[in-house]
Amino acid sequence: MKRFISTISLLLAYNHLFANNSFHDTTKVIELNEVVVLGKTSKQQLVHFYKTNQASTLEDILGRLPELSFVRRGAYGMEPSIRSFSGGQINVLIDGMRIHGACTDKMDPATIYIEPMNLQNLQLQTSTNGFTSGSTIGGTINMKMAEAGFSDQPSVKTSVLSGYQTAANSFFESLVLNVSNKKWAIRLNGTYRNSSNYKAGNGSVIPFTQYEKTNYALSVKYRRSAYTYLKLDYLGDDGWNIGYPALPMDVGFASAKIASISLNYENFRKRFQSGTLKIYANTIRHYMDDTKRPNVPMHMDMPGYSTTAGFISQSTLKLFNNHLLHLSVDASATYLKASMTMYAPGEPPMFMLTWPDNRKIQSGVSALWNIPVDSNWNVQLAARIDYFGYELTSQSAKEQTSILGYPSTSRNNLLKNSSVRITRNLHRNFRISAGISYSERMPTASELYGFYLYNRSDNHDYIGNLLLKPEHSYNTELSTQYQGYKTKITITGFYNKVGNYIYGMLLPGYSAMTIGASGVKSYTNLSSVIFTGFEATVISSIRSDLFLTSALKYIHAEKSDRTPVPFISPAKNTTSLRYQKNNYSIQLEYEAAAQQKKIDANAGEDKTSGYQLIHIRGGYNFNIKSTNLLVQTGAENLFNKFYHDHLDWGNIARPGRNLYIQLKVSW
Amino acid sequence: MKMAVIAITGTAMLFTSCKKENNEPDPTINLSKLAEGYASGAATKVVVYTKEATISTGYTKLYIALYDSVTNNRVDDAHIHLSPLMDMGTMKHAAPYENPDEEAVNHLFPSTVTFIMSSMGGSWTIGISVHNHSNGKEGSLTIPVTVTEPAKTKIKSFTAAHDGGKYFVALTEPASPKVGINDLEFVLYKKTSMMSFPADSSLTMTFIPEMPSMGHSSPNNVNPTHIGNGHYKGKVNFTMTGLWRLNMDFTSNGAVADTTQYIDIEF
Ligand SMILES: [Cu+2]
Repeated sequence: MKRFISTISLLLAYNHLFANNSFHDTTKVIELNEVVVLGKTSKQQLVHFYKTNQASTLEDILGRLPELSFVRRGAYGMEPSIRSFSGGQINVLIDGMRIHGACTDKMDPATIYIEPMNLQNLQLQTSTNGFTSGSTIGGTINMKMAEAGFSDQPSVKTSVLSGYQTAANSFFESLVLNVSNKKWAIRLNGTYRNSSNYKAGNGSVIPFTQYEKTNYALSVKYRRSAYTYLKLDYLGDDGWNIGYPALPMDVGFASAKIASISLNYENFRKRFQSGTLKIYANTIRHYMDDTKRPNVPMHMDMPGYSTTAGFISQSTLKLFNNHLLHLSVDASATYLKASMTMYAPGEPPMFMLTWPDNRKIQSGVSALWNIPVDSNWNVQLAARIDYFGYELTSQSAKEQTSILGYPSTSRNNLLKNSSVRITRNLHRNFRISAGISYSERMPTASELYGFYLYNRSDNHDYIGNLLLKPEHSYNTELSTQYQGYKTKITITGFYNKVGNYIYGMLLPGYSAMTIGASGVKSYTNLSSVIFTGFEATVISSIRSDLFLTSALKYIHAEKSDRTPVPFISPAKNTTSLRYQKNNYSIQLEYEAAAQQKKIDANAGEDKTSGYQLIHIRGGYNFNIKSTNLLVQTGAENLFNKFYHDHLDWGNIARPGRNLYIQLKVSW
Repeated sequence: MKMAVIAITGTAMLFTSCKKENNEPDPTINLSKLAEGYASGAATKVVVYTKEATISTGYTKLYIALYDSVTNNRVDDAHIHLSPLMDMGTMKHAAPYENPDEEAVNHLFPSTVTFIMSSMGGSWTIGISVHNHSNGKEGSLTIPVTVTEPAKTKIKSFTAAHDGGKYFVALTEPASPKVGINDLEFVLYKKTSMMSFPADSSLTMTFIPEMPSMGHSSPNNVNPTHIGNGHYKGKVNFTMTGLWRLNMDFTSNGAVADTTQYIDIEF
């Protein structure tokens, strides 16, 4: 256990920290590699459980975590949300790196760049302690990329995975190569996915749900000494012809290049236990396309560009009495620009900056101090300060933005976050944990500078507001956990009071730019919005060959006038039963969502009925000489239900019955 | 060789010191010469420049340079009066104009003529009478002008509903439109006879910019208000490049004068 932990980098120091202290609640680190590590948190077990379908996209797997939901605008590129906080309210990081999407319509959250094959683990921090890697009110999802481990004997391992799915006539091919010895550890992987339009439960083909993409990653580690190694990472992702049926445009081509170099130190016997210094840069290009859409009133091009460069420096110190201090210093600069060119026959092209060229500078320091008071009490204190500066970088951006009449087009804010969490073992099997925090988040470039950004959901164009105040939130979280011999039950309740909540409000007197849009909105700060809810997870080995998991979540959110907050997931339950005998496994899954009647019609929402789905999966694992083969097959949405989820924009139906088969060969 | 260099340098120095006056930049450097002639009786050479190589209908700036025909020195103090005339064969009419001040600006006398039709309907001339204050003599000349109709007209006329008068409105700014905040300026004239088109300030002007192919407007525009001599000044905001239509409304003390006119700007 300890050795395993020591192989993961410092970014997961929390995990290490709580593994030592057996206080697992605060940060959920979810291992996604092949080896099942027992005795982990509920979240890890849950994700393992759903990792069975090797062809799953990351969203498929993450969607099973009760804290997470996905706003869906197409079959691809779903936007993650933590307890209904999304976009600028949460951090979505890859190996701690900040990556800003290049799409003004949020088609490209950073989660699309991580193939499950390429994910080592997932660090999910909810509101009360989610801010340590960046000021945020909603929490942090940090996706740790897979890497090879050093090995005493030279080793070469290869896996090939190939799969086919019927609903979208889609296939995918994946290759992983690990090469390692004492000094070097190299991992190379690539994935290709190609998907046609999928069929919904009523047999109809849903147009513009196709996509095609490749993803390729290289990780090279070089050991310099017993306690230090250098690591170089490169991740590339290219997508073509990606449909977004809930939006007026698709993606013609999108490309991401993500690179980093880091120096890592680990020596858990020393006072200075571990440290990382990482320098990184990434650049994303995103070209939207409407040429395949019927009845387009006017053809337009909408390219977007994002470039971020930064560094992260983290270290963990072991203080007196096993106190641990985790320190982090980081800074980044993000450049964004996006434009729109419309073509009317016989007229000059209409060119406009949708994200006027802008730069965001962020720099922050954070400290997390873990105090094991005695064997039954643990206290954790955390704080972070972030400086944010936004500024327009071109004369044309300044001239265009001057139309809106703001006294200044730059912004500077100092954001403050702090939290306290106390954990107490009440009994050998029973633990309770309570946290409170205050956190802040910076408005996004779209919220500050966006220029007539069309929102298909409420059919309005959005203009940025340079006078927006940072959002802030008072969060409380109470968690209890029962850990029996065969069963683990976790129940977590939360209450977040968000102030200066950023919300779209009609701008009277403004005329919509987009043809057919109902009007223009801008962002405003609402005084107080409350999010409250709970998650409950049960994981149980009923018999040695029978394994049950069940997760239930519920969120209620309302504004100060008691009207609902838009896009809140309804109550949901996912329950699975797995029978595993020798090389065979059979898994039955039940997925249920309640209806959602609490809607905000101003945001373009309508009521959604509940649904219930059944999935069935089977696997057979066998060896031919030294080659391991894994055959998996199954049926998702077995009863071919015609349905959509409440968070699906445009009420676009989800796929109907999907049969899949895939083969993984490793040697 | 050394001698030659010194000689050349010396000559050059001599040359520059003699022509010191001509070292200032040519004031007509970015202008096109429209016509040149002598104002007979005033002993003055008259050269007329314009910004564009071709003259279009609408508000047109003329830059007049005067030279003493004997000494060929520039004349910077003179009284110039314009009289534009359109001869349509069966009838004649004038056009609105603005005479220059008596003091030249950078050796040029800026003046304007607002051509209310193109040369398709007849022939335009501009009579220029000059009172040369340096020699005290007076004289005049007439120059022919060819006026074309531009792709997007910058002048409109209407018969006002409240008084039946015929008004001409011409766009003077923005001369080079851009995305962002632009100065907006119109000039308004009222026709009182075939030969008289005085500046008018009696009407109140509002406008809405619009992109006709998309149907949207732009925010935070400032309606033009009268600043003197029939000129109305405001601000127009363009949110993107392309074809913009400025829809104009005119009222007189609350009574509608006209709401039908627009001027297109394309960039
Ligand atoms: Cu996009």
